[in-house]
Amino acid sequence: MSENALAEAAGRVLENLAELEPELVSAGIFDSGLEPVATSSTDVAWSKQAAALLEALEAGSVGQTLDSAHVASTAGEVFVVTESGLSLVAVTGRYVLASLTSYDMRMALRDAAREGSGQGPGGSWAKVRKATGEAENKGRSDA
Amino acid sequence: MLKPHRVVLEKVNSYTEEAAAFMRRRRHHRREFVRIRFQSGAEADLPTGTPEADRIATAARRLIELG
Repeated sequence: MSENALAEAAGRVLENLAELEPELVSAGIFDSGLEPVATSSTDVAWSKQAAALLEALEAGSVGQTLDSAHVASTAGEVFVVTESGLSLVAVTGRYVLASLTSYDMRMALRDAAREGSGQGPGGSWAKVRKATGEAENKGRSDA
Repeated sequence: MLKPHRVVLEKVNSYTEEAAAFMRRRRHHRREFVRIRFQSGAEADLPTGTPEADRIATAARRLIELG
């Protein structure tokens, strides 16, 4: 997976996520080494704090592999979703729909991972359709 | 038709219920929690006051403050 392609894809999915989630304050995608791939915040301290949160969550999930987390405080909420070796951290306002937010984040991470690996938005299904079409038309020039 | 004292009692009762609901909402608004889901499908609400939950909550609070 090219780092540039992944960073571009991650930036794009963060923009899409911001459009989907009106309550989203900031978000960032991190790799398995807790290094930021793309963040909506330009503040370096935000990335460091998000990495610290991911570290704390890893430490908190003793003996288990973290899938997602939801932390609520009086001032806002933080969602974390891990997928395909990437982690998405999002800060939102209070009382967002947790399951919907987590779902959108997971889809965003899948898109970033897929586009970052050069599969494109259609993923493997586009290839399957193309291959099927070619197979159907094999030997027929008027198809 | 209800007796006059019943009307007063019902009114007082309704105000008390409103006040109780307000207090419940207020408590809920102030409630903080740390909920973790694992890849195994298990889910855990980390009890507040434990070192793990406090570390996570502190990191999350700082992140929210940074915006």
